[in-house]
Amino acid sequence: MSTSADASHNTASDAGASVPGAAAAGIDPRSPRFGAAITAVLLLVVIFAALVGASVVALVLLVLIAALFAWGAFAGVRRHPYGLLFKALVRPRLAPPTELEDPAPPTFAQGVGLLVTLVGVVLGLVGVAPAVPIAAAAAFLAAFLNSVFGYCLGCQLYLLLVRAGVLGRVQAA
Amino acid sequence: MHPLAALALVLGLVVVATGLGVLWRRQQGRVRAVGTPEAPAATVIQPTDVASSAPFGDHATLLQFSTELCSKCPGTRRLLTAVAEARPGVVHLDIDLTHRADLANRFNIFQTPTTIVLDGSGRIRARVGGVPNRAQLARQLDELLGSDNVHIG
Repeated sequence: MSTSADASHNTASDAGASVPGAAAAGIDPRSPRFGAAITAVLLLVVIFAALVGASVVALVLLVLIAALFAWGAFAGVRRHPYGLLFKALVRPRLAPPTELEDPAPPTFAQGVGLLVTLVGVVLGLVGVAPAVPIAAAAAFLAAFLNSVFGYCLGCQLYLLLVRAGVLGRVQAA
Repeated sequence: MHPLAALALVLGLVVVATGLGVLWRRQQGRVRAVGTPEAPAATVIQPTDVASSAPFGDHATLLQFSTELCSKCPGTRRLLTAVAEARPGVVHLDIDLTHRADLANRFNIFQTPTTIVLDGSGRIRARVGGVPNRAQLARQLDELLGSDNVHIG
């Protein structure tokens, strides 16, 4: 029916510009999930190494993971080595994606991962040894839920930061 | 720590994460009714309450809340647009919360997309977190439109 068709395309104009769609330059949503699986496994190794007392191994591996997060956060998930690995090795074996998604949320999530692992690295370096497995466990939870269940931590945190007034404060009430 | 104890802890973490994931996934897309036809929600929502210049639907409105950083919002928008277009008097509106934290607080939005189903009078009848389950949503709308005595076709 025409009335519903017209109105349904309206984004509430006063609530800001239309939400940018994924159609312009989307990524295969399975790509960040593939990368998160690798990250999750590496984080488990960090936790295991820290627990058995191999704290140097744990710290070095966490630094490596933080560096990979930094890569994703600053260069974008599309230029991340795991994304390239997915494109080269995994995607040719899969059916084409049913839907493409915006790369911004996983890129934002990489930044969150960077922050969490960096806290663990810094605290580990100044001698707070338990911080390494704890930071790794927190990052593991997010990476695991993202990879296995499709949970988007970046999306959720973004909204919560908006609600906390950290992001998106343009039109003060 | 003994390697076996460490391994047990690591496996325990995986089990906890799996449990959390299963719980989370079970909630996603589920259409939860708010109020009943006999005792509907008291508050009547107007288009201006959600900063919308477009009118609500005569029989139902699918009020989607999004942010600009949301991987499932565009897909949900396409789904809800299609659902609304198939039903006369049903309108879909997509509200960007990015600069409207007040709306997120008022409607208690903790995840995007969240969809609120309003009846023809602007009362909340259902709520969906995540990408809505299409069949459940269709059933909810059929119920709503039926109770408004709408004859389609």
